[in-house]
Amino acid sequence: MVTREDVLQMARLSKLYIKEEELDALTRDMDNIIAFAETISAAQCEQTDFDNISNLSNVLREDVVLPSYSREEILKNAESQDEGYFLVKKRS
Amino acid sequence: MKYELVSGLETHVELSTNTKIFCGCTTDFGGEQNTHCCPICIGLPGTLPKLNEKVVDYAIMAGLATNCEISHISKMDRKNYCYPDLPKAYQISQFDMPLCKNGYIALSNGRKIGITRIHIEEDAGKLVHQRGNTYVDYNRGGVPLIEIVSEPDIRSIDEAREYVEKLQMIMRYIGVSDCKMQEGSLRCDVNISLRPIGSVEFGTRTEIKNMNSFTYMTKAMEYEVSRQAELLDEGKEVTQETLRYIVEENRTESMRGKEDANDYRYFREPDLVTIEVSQEKIDRFKAMLPELPDAKFTRYVNELGIPEADAGLLVKYRRVAEYFEKAMEGTANPKVAANCIIGQIFRRVENETEKEAFDIALPAEYLRDLILLLDGGKIKMNLLKSTLEKMLDQGKPATDFIKEEDMGGIDTDTLRQLCTDAIAANPNAVADYLGGKEKALKSLLGFVMKNSRGRADAVEAEKLLIEMVSASK
Repeated sequence: MVTREDVLQMARLSKLYIKEEELDALTRDMDNIIAFAETISAAQCEQTDFDNISNLSNVLREDVVLPSYSREEILKNAESQDEGYFLVKKRS
Repeated sequence: MKYELVSGLETHVELSTNTKIFCGCTTDFGGEQNTHCCPICIGLPGTLPKLNEKVVDYAIMAGLATNCEISHISKMDRKNYCYPDLPKAYQISQFDMPLCKNGYIALSNGRKIGITRIHIEEDAGKLVHQRGNTYVDYNRGGVPLIEIVSEPDIRSIDEAREYVEKLQMIMRYIGVSDCKMQEGSLRCDVNISLRPIGSVEFGTRTEIKNMNSFTYMTKAMEYEVSRQAELLDEGKEVTQETLRYIVEENRTESMRGKEDANDYRYFREPDLVTIEVSQEKIDRFKAMLPELPDAKFTRYVNELGIPEADAGLLVKYRRVAEYFEKAMEGTANPKVAANCIIGQIFRRVENETEKEAFDIALPAEYLRDLILLLDGGKIKMNLLKSTLEKMLDQGKPATDFIKEEDMGGIDTDTLRQLCTDAIAANPNAVADYLGGKEKALKSLLGFVMKNSRGRADAVEAEKLLIEMVSASK
């Protein structure tokens, strides 16, 4: 069972803001998602190697330069920045 | 020393592709911080990496040039560790299925240093620690690297140095990296342990991280070897740990011990598919490899008769070797071209960077034409040398400096007359020579050479001068 506290904790880790009135609905949704994922455990399967399930190989790109993003865009989501650098502050 | 060094190296080489390993951002060195970045290389959620084909190609070439087997099937893995230089909190690398394995580098003393594996991976970002804070620049994040892991086959500091020099030379020859240690495009982690001479078991090892110059690598190894030897002499144990070398104080310092060793929780990178390399591709790349420095060295010594020391200088940089080969083509004695390059041209390209670029204003063909004049008996060695200096100054062919009437030698009578003139014009030099100063003959010889406009044979002229001066006594 997913609890309201679990959802609040996940929200905090993901830096998402959740309104109080959304909390119950989100808790139910999260519970359903986990129940859905658990149906996989019930599946019977002979295959043991799940490493390369797509059977794809050599999806490659050519060595051609594409424009990079502007520094402003790159740093836009940074929690803190200074002089064009991502800034990791000293933990006190 | 009563201990034997056992050392193995992990060498990181930045590949000179145009773009990063998983995105189209440029790999140029030295851009403004965080300007060579995109959502893929700063690890934003929802992005997908796509492998640069050139990275696979370059790694295959590096493997072939170091006698490795190339894996037909390999894959990428996640190496998890949490540090600000890795925006995703994992590095995409290769764990149990590297692209190349089981190679070797042959050293000049005949020993082979085994190469366990070569794998491809992404470089981390650059951290600047200041005022207790950490500033992160992700321009280097995602730049492609190969990591070349050696067997613990190295037995001396000289061997370690030669091993890295050879790697550097080979990687430059095949054009996969510029291997500039000062820019960090080649850096080594050095594993060091000692054991009593004659013992087969390995002692406890330490690892010195991130050596980025030959001088510091040598010094750090010297320090670490003597530190371990002292411990063993005192009956103490060496602690297994990772060290950093402090340049200013010439000592090593512990970064982390064995118990702090990272558990990287490697697992297959789910965002990337299998890498398959066909035998046809391997064969094609093998055929494309240039003649490597060792093979060139042997050929220069055995087939061209170049002395070993000179051959070593010529093969060190691919462009020098190519220049030499063009300049000697069709000439009677390859040593002449070799001497011109080592004796005269090298004086104009003093440092290693210039030698590597070997950007000479004089086309190799012009040097060859000059040597052909010597071969054809039209000029003498001394005229060749002085003309070459002028050619190097101006980048022009020999015919711009040697007049038609200067070509061809001079007859004995003319030479005798020139010597007579020289003796008459330099009574002091004659007296000095007769007084025992053999060097005084040089000014007489210079007089003859100058007045013959370089056509006289210096050896013949000197012989004749000695004969005539001695007779005048």
